[in-house]
Amino acid sequence: MASQKDTFQQKFKIKGGDFIKAGESSCEIRNILKGIGIDAEIIRRVAIAAYEAEMNVVMYAQHGTIHFTVNPQEIGIIVEDRGQGIVDIERAMQPGYSTATEEMREMGFGAGMGLPNIKKNSDTFTITSKVGKGTKLEIVIKLNNTK
Amino acid sequence: MTTTSRYHSIKINKKKCIGCIHCMKGCPTRAIRIRNGKAVIQYQKCIDCGECLRLCPYDAVEPITTLQADLKRFAYKVAIPSPVLYSQFGTQTTPAEILHVLQHMGFDHVYDEARMCEMVSTAIEIYLDGHKTTRPIISSTCPVVVRLIQRLFPSLRKLIIPIEPPREMAAKNLRREISQRHKIAPEDIGIIHITPCAAKMVSINRPLSMKRSYLDGAISIHDIYNEIMMRIKKTNRSLLLDTERPVSGIGIGWTMSGGEIRGMKYHNTISVSGVLDTIRILEDVEAGKLKDIEYLECLICPEGCIGGPLTVENRFIAQSTINRLKRVYGEKKTVDVRTVHRLFKEKFFSFEHSIEPKPFPGLDADRAEAIKMLNMKENIMKKLPGKDCGACGAPDCATLAEDIALGVANLNDCVFCKGDRHDK
Repeated sequence: MASQKDTFQQKFKIKGGDFIKAGESSCEIRNILKGIGIDAEIIRRVAIAAYEAEMNVVMYAQHGTIHFTVNPQEIGIIVEDRGQGIVDIERAMQPGYSTATEEMREMGFGAGMGLPNIKKNSDTFTITSKVGKGTKLEIVIKLNNTK
Repeated sequence: MTTTSRYHSIKINKKKCIGCIHCMKGCPTRAIRIRNGKAVIQYQKCIDCGECLRLCPYDAVEPITTLQADLKRFAYKVAIPSPVLYSQFGTQTTPAEILHVLQHMGFDHVYDEARMCEMVSTAIEIYLDGHKTTRPIISSTCPVVVRLIQRLFPSLRKLIIPIEPPREMAAKNLRREISQRHKIAPEDIGIIHITPCAAKMVSINRPLSMKRSYLDGAISIHDIYNEIMMRIKKTNRSLLLDTERPVSGIGIGWTMSGGEIRGMKYHNTISVSGVLDTIRILEDVEAGKLKDIEYLECLICPEGCIGGPLTVENRFIAQSTINRLKRVYGEKKTVDVRTVHRLFKEKFFSFEHSIEPKPFPGLDADRAEAIKMLNMKENIMKKLPGKDCGACGAPDCATLAEDIALGVANLNDCVFCKGDRHDK
């Protein structure tokens, strides 16, 4: 386990329904990682996972936070939101399944690839959710292997 | 920090530089600092975009381009002017007239790049036809965009179309042709591009997708503008209006923003110009947002190459001139599509090798050390006023904080922090 000193962390707040600012946090995360000199392929995976997770909060929750950490071994992204939660996680994890409204689909979202994409790009991925309360994603991307 | 300007196209003239902050503030990669009252370029972060050249009020930022005298060593001299040149002398001067004048300025042959632009445009379509799963495909025309991707967005380098831009293809073809026709050794033929930007010098001196550039140099439009203008003024008018020449508006308009996508059969395309907007759109591509876009044309200069820092004419007037030429020459393709298909199959247009990623160096080569420094930088940031005034010699507070963490600047450089210290 890396010590506090070895870890850089930053918290981002996300507002549900704010499509104007959507994507800014994941963009900043990318820039931080570039500044540290992290490998491009890892940044690509982090970028996709963080962006999809951020969009999920914007689309389905009232508000949420991204807790981003990086230490010499791994990158951690914990996304917690207060919102409707997910009724059937197993179904939500299936590619193509989506509860997005017609409106969101017209905007190009809701292809049902969000969670599967996050999982695909993570080394470990856990999801917990309480209906009516909110959802928590824990994403870890290891730095020493290039998946 | 030791730096080298050997492979770059921009340098600071210390005699003219007064150490103001225009170039430093405008640099998109924050590669400039003011040290001892003069601007200093940190070349390891420079992408040769030319913003500093554009912004300097004292002409202290100088482009490094080829001089006409440098061509003396060649037995046979060829000029390939960028079609931008046609936009520089007003609407009353035709491309034929400009090419004619150039021919009398010491070149044995002058080639109209517009023709090759049209061929490459067809080759791009053939490539898109054959590669439907990777999207968006990004244009390789602007050498700064290619470098920007290599350095700032290395994960996108595989999206760059592996087809060389028209200037290189024209030179490749001409060297072969002229050498055969006139029985001259290829190395005795000097082929230069007449360029609206200095960045072409970098792609010639240090190409990213081939062993050696087919061009021998690039002469700035700015440098030869006066001589061309003088000769045009002295030439007997009403001479060459040659709508007979096999060239179309597609090729002539290629160097304007939107020029590459205009004649294309693909419609899901985007054209972007300007360095900041290019960075923004590449961030979107990196986030995976533009997967439904087929072709993305990015040109680093505003409005495209007609807005290059080495042009003379106002870029909006240049745009109008090119638009007029496009109407005269029409938008019907003049190249033989079958020939392009054959050349494409022979890999005539192809990159010799793929582009290597070359990201900007992180805060430290050691990851743990880099993270420590990032934390240090964040702590320093808290002490700085966040006014981004530039008086310290760094473009903004975040960059100063980074420089302090790296040990190349200190807190006393900040005029506000200094005040603080004295108050205590």
